[in-house]
Amino acid sequence: MTARAKALVSIAIAASLSFSGCQAVKQGAADIIASTGKVSREDAQSLVRTAEVVRSTFAEITEEEEYYIGRATAALILSKYMPYRNEALNSYVNVMGTILAYNSDRPETYGGYHFLVLDTDEVNAMAAPGGFIFVTKGLVRRCGDEETLAAILAHEIGHVAERHGLQSIKKSRLLDAFKVIGSEASRQFNSEELAKVTGIFEGVLGDVVETLVERGYDRKFEYEADKLALSFAVRTGYSPGGLAEFLVGMEEHKPSGTAAGWFKTHPSPADRLVRVKTETAVLGAAPAKLDVRTARFAEAAKNLR
Amino acid sequence: MKKPARLTFLIAAVLAVFVFLLAETVVVKIKTTSLRRDPKFTAPIVAAIKAGDSLEKLEARDGWVKVKTKAGVVGWLHSTAVESKKLGLLAMDKTMKTQASAGEVALAAKGFNKQVEDKYRAGNAAADFAAVDAMEKVRPTPAEVEAFMKEGKLGEFGGSR
Repeated sequence: MTARAKALVSIAIAASLSFSGCQAVKQGAADIIASTGKVSREDAQSLVRTAEVVRSTFAEITEEEEYYIGRATAALILSKYMPYRNEALNSYVNVMGTILAYNSDRPETYGGYHFLVLDTDEVNAMAAPGGFIFVTKGLVRRCGDEETLAAILAHEIGHVAERHGLQSIKKSRLLDAFKVIGSEASRQFNSEELAKVTGIFEGVLGDVVETLVERGYDRKFEYEADKLALSFAVRTGYSPGGLAEFLVGMEEHKPSGTAAGWFKTHPSPADRLVRVKTETAVLGAAPAKLDVRTARFAEAAKNLR
Repeated sequence: MKKPARLTFLIAAVLAVFVFLLAETVVVKIKTTSLRRDPKFTAPIVAAIKAGDSLEKLEARDGWVKVKTKAGVVGWLHSTAVESKKLGLLAMDKTMKTQASAGEVALAAKGFNKQVEDKYRAGNAAADFAAVDAMEKVRPTPAEVEAFMKEGKLGEFGGSR
């Protein structure tokens, strides 16, 4: 066999290893690669290691893990806020949100997108990882039409699509988790591992919930979600004006004292408005607002006041 | 192992990997989703699929992939619902490593999963998972989605642009 053929074989074997989690197979493969005589044993083992799964950043949190982080985050949000018992409004928000998600950059998530109106007069919207999206009754009341609510939902979908929530998890916590989780193919933890991983999971939830509810995302994530909101809304067929309209309304209702809720967790509406106007200008021809949509929004939101 | 036998094994290994890659298998990474007749979410559903299902990739277009199931059903899926097994080989290239790693783990390893959630729930009674379960149960039907789009002149039913 030529050296080139041997190298090809080595690469093929190393690649096939990424489909195998078994240590014996890995060692066997390193032996075979080394036995070609052209690659030292150390290099062979390093080649095998390269093909192994090594996780270190938020980008490597799997879809399924994101779903479980999202579920628990949502469970914690729902320990602070009650769902708003209004089936017609919840159904309206879910259908609209689903269509906006279909037109986003990430229409499919492990458990899908789900939307819920929270029973509070506070004006706020939050997205837990994986697609659990909340808007408050107070926020829906603040929206004048379907375009505005669509913009808010699209903004939250943008946070999910870009995995902004997961980026609030402390890196050291992720490294700890990945170390315990390891890369073996078994799906069951022993009790010691389970206690450790659950402890880390609690820390992860602390990071995410603190960001969503208390501290807010990094400003650059909010601006990015605004940009995505415009794009997803327009792709869906909405006028891009909804976001600007909402921000103008929020600027007018800015509290004079200490910022709380939405005002605490988001950059100033005026700052966002400047960017949103620039982004809207570059969109070019976009759909117009339609009376039929404004009318059905009014119908869905009629019992709010 | 005698030399010719080892050579045969190595050639077979290379062939196996390349045949595997040529077939271009994609794996579903979404808990449950639908295979559709055309590359759009409003197209009729032709099959239900679930996480871990292996599908043969036939074609890719505008963010959608055309696939064939083991049962021979052909349909379209959004590309965010699947991942290519081919990334395993590309993992050799450092720039592709992240995707490959996440992908392999998604399909094989333990992580933050049901077992961890159950343990967490046992110690955190205040976290309202029942409300989350109720939230997850709300899933608009294709008919509701289509009616909403039609009435509001959204998506393919629009024209106000």
